[in-house]
Amino acid sequence: MGSSASPAVPSPARTRTRFTDSDALLPTLVAGALIFIIVFIGYPVAYNLAMSFQEVTLGNIRDFARPFVGLENYQALVADPLFWPVLRNTSIFVITNVVLQVLLGLGLAMFFLQDFPGAAWMRGMILAGWILPPLVIAAVFKWLFASNGGLINEALMGAGLTAQPVNFLSDTATAMATVTFTNVWFGTPFAMILLSAGLANLPRDVFEAAQIDGAGTLTRFTRITVPLLMPTLLAVTCLCTIYTLRAFDVIWGMTGGGPANTTNVLPVWSFQLSFQQFNFAQGAVIATMMFALVILVALLYIRSIRSELRA
Amino acid sequence: MRITRRQTLALAGAAPLAAPALVQAQARTISLWHVFNLETEAYMREGVRDWNAQNPNQRIEERIIPFAQYRTELVRAIATGDVPDLCVIDNPDTPSFAAQNQLTDLTQRVATSERIRASVYHTGPWSTAQWRGRTFAVPRDSNTIALYINHEMFRAAGLDPARPPGTWPDLFAAARRLTSADGRVSGLMFSARAAEDATFQWLPFLWQAGGDIDRLDGPEALDALRFWVECVTSGVSSRDVLTVSQSEGVNRLISGNAAMAISGPWDTPRVSQQARFEWSVAQLPVRGEGREIHASGLGGWNWAIPQGTRNADAAWRLIEHMSRPEHMAQSWRSGRLPPRTDVPVENPVYAQAFRAYSEQILTARPRGPHPRWPDISRPIQTAIQSALTGQAPPDVALRTAATAIRPILQQTPLRG
Repeated sequence: MGSSASPAVPSPARTRTRFTDSDALLPTLVAGALIFIIVFIGYPVAYNLAMSFQEVTLGNIRDFARPFVGLENYQALVADPLFWPVLRNTSIFVITNVVLQVLLGLGLAMFFLQDFPGAAWMRGMILAGWILPPLVIAAVFKWLFASNGGLINEALMGAGLTAQPVNFLSDTATAMATVTFTNVWFGTPFAMILLSAGLANLPRDVFEAAQIDGAGTLTRFTRITVPLLMPTLLAVTCLCTIYTLRAFDVIWGMTGGGPANTTNVLPVWSFQLSFQQFNFAQGAVIATMMFALVILVALLYIRSIRSELRA
Repeated sequence: MRITRRQTLALAGAAPLAAPALVQAQARTISLWHVFNLETEAYMREGVRDWNAQNPNQRIEERIIPFAQYRTELVRAIATGDVPDLCVIDNPDTPSFAAQNQLTDLTQRVATSERIRASVYHTGPWSTAQWRGRTFAVPRDSNTIALYINHEMFRAAGLDPARPPGTWPDLFAAARRLTSADGRVSGLMFSARAAEDATFQWLPFLWQAGGDIDRLDGPEALDALRFWVECVTSGVSSRDVLTVSQSEGVNRLISGNAAMAISGPWDTPRVSQQARFEWSVAQLPVRGEGREIHASGLGGWNWAIPQGTRNADAAWRLIEHMSRPEHMAQSWRSGRLPPRTDVPVENPVYAQAFRAYSEQILTARPRGPHPRWPDISRPIQTAIQSALTGQAPPDVALRTAATAIRPILQQTPLRG
């Protein structure tokens, strides 16, 4: 983030090449980016939006001219008994994930900022979690949390903390917490690395001045670190929200949305509707709703990186 | 480089030759999509190798897609019009694709084929390839589910593995004796996860009880669901049946965390390689107490030619080629049974499992066939999950499912 992400601007003193000098450069670059966005982002979004107002079956999915049904798909989706539970699950999943990922990420970033032997090495190792494909993570954690033979249950029983295995993934009361834990494990390194970069860019002289003035560790953290880091924190929060909103693989691999839909969230439901029920239109309705949500968060994100660049 | 040179040659005056050359260039490969990625998958590997040796000018271009993504990829291909020349389709999905005009009608080709005739196929698999009296696919392989049992655990519990449980009460009693007090070993694993696995594994119990999917609010369905609920609430089946796939249930058997597991022959090569104990495959039990209906589910894959391919003739020849008995007999090596009556499997590997599954499949019934099978299966999965988690009593869960399925069956009856 921050200054490291800003493009390298050639200094005015340097001799410019002929091409960068020409007036055509800016429009050309902008047009290229615009065409890219229209073709690869605008088109699918528009196509998806159109689908959400149409009757779409396996038989007509290849055509563009499909029967227009107005808001019927939206009404059917909202009337579905799963609609509110899934929305509730999604909110719980996203909010818990974002809060925990940002807080833990900040904690870890601060921790690794301390100068101790192996700090950089350990920070690199923590990133390993983020490098693994989420489906692999899901499979591994599903094993870890298994009721019989699962490592975590064996440890709990070995330590005498429980006499019978805990049904982490198959109990409706704990399934959501278990997939949330896994997703936090997966997402935290990402928050940590962005916040580490943000922390490294904070001006040192402010901290030194505060220290000379007698400000304690806690005061420096709440009065200097947090306010200065705020733009980065906002940006990370937005990114985490977007990533969690579209998180699919971890839940899909661990529970498939079960048991009894207690871990079913919007992306999982959309996939089920589109590719298991062949109900493409309602799948598209969910995708459209999620797109609207993500756009809102993305606008916040853009605002926050603007203020970060100013800061 | 080569293509450029050939094109240049064609342009350089060989006009009369250019047209056939182009046609040949178009049909130089047959694209084939499937899911069979196992090392033991000798059927596909040898069948494809053989074809390529015999047809060097029309080689097979294989694309192997993991099962979990396969349907998504197929739908994407249909949506973009970029379909393979030949593909495999899971048998309960076949009517969905056929009824929506996405598969080439093969009725005429079957009528004139020497190798592919309805009479040489088992009726169950063949019925999954039909829609409204027309043929849209050809069975590739069949499977069904039965009971894997760990002999050592049986003996340790004072049970005789040579006499596996034959009725539901026997199964439950055996499972109870095999379950460890500390919950580490479950007597019986099955799959009731939020996916097709749950429907596939529960339907045999429904049929054994004398019910069917058009009577989900009847006493037989309640009997079948109550049996599963009892297995879970009593602890003889781990609550994890709600999240494990069929093969993950078998993993519990292999790791010694389950004494019995219900799954299909596709897991047999793995169990045989990895289990460090004596094991065998037993038939699914009957209901007992006056109901002696033997039943299991029918799974398997069909060959189908998507609408819109220009290579339908070659694809059909490839289906005929892959349906030769010498190729098809190899399918057992990866745990798949030939769907034809004229394909003997000589000296089968995993001989006991082969005998057990060959016998069990005689009782296997297809799911549907129905063009809206996913819409029928989903409420069944929901009913199973809500009953097993205790969110709804079994009768309420089943009534909800029956209400959801009724209009679908009214529109298009089963075996319509």
